[in-house]
Amino acid sequence: MKFCNRIIIAACAAALAAAPAWAQFKPTKPVEFIVHTGPGGGADVLARFISQVIEKENLAPVRFQVNNRDGGGGLRAMAYVAEKKGDTHAIAVFTGNWLTNPLTRAEAQHTVKDMTPIVRLVLEPALVAVKADAPYKTLKDFIDAAKKAPGTMKQSGGSITSRDNVVRQLLMKETNSSWAYISFPGGGERIAALLGGHVNMMIIEPQEAGEHIKAGGMRVIAQVSDKRLAGFPNIPTIKESGFDIPNVPQVRGILMPPGVAPDVVAYYEDLFLRLSKTATWRKYLEEQQFEDGFQKSAELSRFFDTYTNQMRDILKEAGAKVVR
Amino acid sequence: MEILTSLGHGFAVALEPLNLFWCFVGVFLGTAVGVMPGLGPAATIAMLLPLTFNMPPTTAVIMLAGIYYGAKYGGSTTAILLNVPGESASVVTCLDGYQMARKGRAGAALGIAAISSFIAGTVGVVGLMLLAPPLAKFGLSFSSPEYFALMFMGLAMVVLLAGESMIKALLAMLVGLWIASMGIDLFSDASRFTFGRSEMLDGVDFVIVAIGVFALGEVFGNMEKREEGVMLPVPKGLRNLLPTMAELKACRFAFLNGSIVGFIIGVLPGAGSTIASFISYGIEKAVSKHPEKFGTGVPEGVAAPEGANNSETGGAMVPLLTLGIPGSGTTAILLAAFILWGLRPGPLMIQENPDLFWGLVASMYVGNVMLLVLNLPLIPLFAQILKLREYILYPIIFGISIIGVYAVSSSLFDCWMLVVFGLLGYAVRRLDYPSAPLILGLVLGDSMERALRQSLMMSQGDLSILVSRPISATMLVLAVILLCLPLFRRANAWRVKALEENG
Repeated sequence: MKFCNRIIIAACAAALAAAPAWAQFKPTKPVEFIVHTGPGGGADVLARFISQVIEKENLAPVRFQVNNRDGGGGLRAMAYVAEKKGDTHAIAVFTGNWLTNPLTRAEAQHTVKDMTPIVRLVLEPALVAVKADAPYKTLKDFIDAAKKAPGTMKQSGGSITSRDNVVRQLLMKETNSSWAYISFPGGGERIAALLGGHVNMMIIEPQEAGEHIKAGGMRVIAQVSDKRLAGFPNIPTIKESGFDIPNVPQVRGILMPPGVAPDVVAYYEDLFLRLSKTATWRKYLEEQQFEDGFQKSAELSRFFDTYTNQMRDILKEAGAKVVR
Repeated sequence: MEILTSLGHGFAVALEPLNLFWCFVGVFLGTAVGVMPGLGPAATIAMLLPLTFNMPPTTAVIMLAGIYYGAKYGGSTTAILLNVPGESASVVTCLDGYQMARKGRAGAALGIAAISSFIAGTVGVVGLMLLAPPLAKFGLSFSSPEYFALMFMGLAMVVLLAGESMIKALLAMLVGLWIASMGIDLFSDASRFTFGRSEMLDGVDFVIVAIGVFALGEVFGNMEKREEGVMLPVPKGLRNLLPTMAELKACRFAFLNGSIVGFIIGVLPGAGSTIASFISYGIEKAVSKHPEKFGTGVPEGVAAPEGANNSETGGAMVPLLTLGIPGSGTTAILLAAFILWGLRPGPLMIQENPDLFWGLVASMYVGNVMLLVLNLPLIPLFAQILKLREYILYPIIFGISIIGVYAVSSSLFDCWMLVVFGLLGYAVRRLDYPSAPLILGLVLGDSMERALRQSLMMSQGDLSILVSRPISATMLVLAVILLCLPLFRRANAWRVKALEENG
């Protein structure tokens, strides 16, 4: 019921905040929807889905036009957004990369603190998976094995700033164990390395793992999530497995260029609140096994700070060079 | 027999008017996208994805796959006619294809590319149909050490791509490797050679270097020779625009070589069609009776890489459809599309969704025939481009190149990079360095470095992991043999000379 309450409170707050705002601001021309990946990337798929829902459900008087500004691990899109100072017809999808990458990249000229937070939309949980014929039935089995032979167990994942590695760092620190982290650029290669028996463990998105579990190639031993996912009711979360580490969600949401007036912020906040309540959106979350991570501008701004600080410490421990 | 029944069923699906129509739309769009440099099949599929939401999934898959393999047909056109690689895997086609065009055999080169694409594309589908499940397992047995050995073998091809001077070839290759190392290092998140520019964090796009070095380098080089009038001879008459029997006969082995190499490399999730086309070109040259003629416009030099490029599609479908593992950017987007329709490619898909799997396989046969029929009549038309005077043609090449690069990233920075690499291409030409080794180093550098570092992380720094695994050891031995090839040739030439003098 807590969830319903939150929605109701949020709705009331939005109604209060937005009622006068509607009179003041309404987009009058197509809104530019900036994403930092090329067509087909995670943020791009989300943005295209959102603009479809907005159009289909008639949530806004104008169209939302996706603009791909890919490159530099999100830095190019960030620079583009930052340059649009005061533009009321431009929004962007942000992800964890927007928060993390400027920390390690001296080339970055902007951080999310320079921009206007609008809403947080989804939190993507993950699963800890091993090959189906591996001897580890629980996360503890795996960690015990890693303790027995430090450095010989292997995990496949993305870059060292990715969530996969962050969870590994936290677990290694908590349990005083160590295993190798092998970076692969593509998700397919990471899975192939696990299924081929070349690594022992990986952290994978639920819908990516589904078919491999069904086909009997992969076994899930823990969930990287605050609460158990509907699709995996019998798998404990990392905390439930007895490892007290903070949850590291993959976050996605919406932000705007710097210097946007409060009434504009209120309009977009309300737009996405209405979006998050449509049946289409709920169904999407369910299908993708995402958690609803809805947060409004003020809350999101605080989230940016805590998340960035948390990541800064973790990255330092992971051995990355932190520049800001 | 079971396969034939299933395939018959697949054809019944693929030949439904609706599916036939969208298959045609797919391969047509694919060809168009392939012809245009820069814009690739991955971006096209992603952009057209929303269009397919209202189609039945099988129809949608048939169309999107059509874009994927159709683009591979189209990629050779500008490579042969203008030395502008239409997509990354067509780089190798430039080497001999453009030289054929310069000799007045543009039509023949286009014809051979189309025929080779057709044969190899079909072989790729046959492979996909017959061998998918066992081959997918084979693909999984490949890990970083094997990929390192494969890339090393590819890099050893440099001795085959070298012209007069081995040292110049090696230097060009090193420049390629250096360019490949630019950008963020995946393992440490450190930036390398970015010169403080955020635009450089992703490294240098392969397409920019390929278009710059090949196309602009060629334009700059030819602009010097202003006195020469019409540049390329275009023979009159349809007959002269098609490959001769002799040319086709010379390509017999290349068709086969390209088909097989492309398919095998396609099955491996960590390789790609550019690597496949380089390797089949290398093999073709290694076994050729006249290796010295490669690079001057031999038909085999077009047939092998074009074939490899096309059968790679069938190969890449194997891990995608049977394991749900995408091996390239394009297959990753196809996978995303499958998921959007609620389909999950994986070991169970052939049983659970026979309509889709067999319909797709059958549509790929149909699509390949469509592509051949679509492309052959266009050849005489395309060949007419070469009749343009150079003061018209060169600006066109220039424009196409810049638009191609801008279309990929919509970044002016990339256009300036294109100019820089065009000047590099010009310098390379003037100083008589071969450009193919540079591209080879660039294609392989990144994945080779990655595979080596992954291997060493797996073995905790023990180099013996590279030679203790049978597949990787075999490939490394082959690579060493390849490296010694010039020495054998030299020794052989010396022996022949000695014999002649004695005799």
